[in-house]
Amino acid sequence: MSIQTKNMSEIFEKMDDLKSVFKIGERILPILQSLIDFMGEIIPMLENINTSISDSTNQMPKVSHQINNVTSATELATTEILDLVDEISNELNDIDQAINKIMEMNEAREQKFNEILKHVEGNKKVIGLLNEYKTISTFEDTFGIIREVLSKISNDAFKITMSLQVQDITSQQLSAVNHLIESVNSRLTGLVKEIDSSELKREFSSMKWDLNETGHFDGNASYINREHVQSHVDQIISDQKQIASQEEIDKLFS
Amino acid sequence: MELKFLVVDDSVTMRRIVNNSLKTLGYTNVVEAGDGKDALSKLAADSSINFVITDWNMPVMSGLELSQAIRGDAKMANMPILMVTTRGVKEDIVQALQAKVNNYVVKPFTPQVLKEKLDMVLANIQ
Repeated sequence: MSIQTKNMSEIFEKMDDLKSVFKIGERILPILQSLIDFMGEIIPMLENINTSISDSTNQMPKVSHQINNVTSATELATTEILDLVDEISNELNDIDQAINKIMEMNEAREQKFNEILKHVEGNKKVIGLLNEYKTISTFEDTFGIIREVLSKISNDAFKITMSLQVQDITSQQLSAVNHLIESVNSRLTGLVKEIDSSELKREFSSMKWDLNETGHFDGNASYINREHVQSHVDQIISDQKQIASQEEIDKLFS
Repeated sequence: MELKFLVVDDSVTMRRIVNNSLKTLGYTNVVEAGDGKDALSKLAADSSINFVITDWNMPVMSGLELSQAIRGDAKMANMPILMVTTRGVKEDIVQALQAKVNNYVVKPFTPQVLKEKLDMVLANIQ
């Protein structure tokens, strides 16, 4: 084969390759067109998303501020309730002391009464009247009932005090929500600045929604059904005692 | 021995509740602190404090850090510490034990539970 014939054959081979490329190109062209159409549709959507994110981001500091206001308001209200409960407890104490005083006076009165009885010995009519008077003026039973009621009010007041632990727990929950809002806000603010489809994807996929990363709150704080949690705590402490050596236990609990 | 409590909590409400609970148990000698750092100042200023009741989650210095600081100070190393917190998962409790708190109460607590844990701590230190 001459050199010229060899070159021609190579050229034909290359042309065949080129033809194959064009054929593939023909097939790919509609796909590329769909992709371009799709991008044309998605860009306005991304702009909408961008606007929505921007609007939401602007609202977030306000929401966060409102949550802080709620926490402050509940703390103030709780303090007022605690003040009132303390006042009620103090007044109940005053009543109790007053009853004690009356009881002491009653005892002194009774002693005098017995002395009078000794002086009117033989005078049946006076003795009868005095005994009648003694019966109608006995305070013990009445004060016993009053004391029971006071004790119940005092216990109920203390129960109100203990129930107000809910304020601390809800304020921790609100702090957790606030922390979450602040985290989302900072992420979204960054997103708004450099939004494009790939960035959006990357940012959202890398977002962490961790409530307990930082902050001085317990995001899992709960007011409901905590009795079993204390039992759980006691069990763990007991387990730790069993696992640890006696020396370690002594060190831990001495 | 007369007990003088230091109640440490960033929540005013909780400090009052713990304080009131102690009163009903007959303990009236109580001082308060708003965080761990404040508590350390109070402890440094008042050597008659001999029992610490502390929350865990607080700004500036947490209850856990406070416990570690107390245990690390030779003068206060044996101070009884009761942790009163909302945190109730095993990891937290183990961490608290490692920080050498004497006992652990979960919020919301009842006066009975507080009394029980106080008695347990006091029985162990006497």
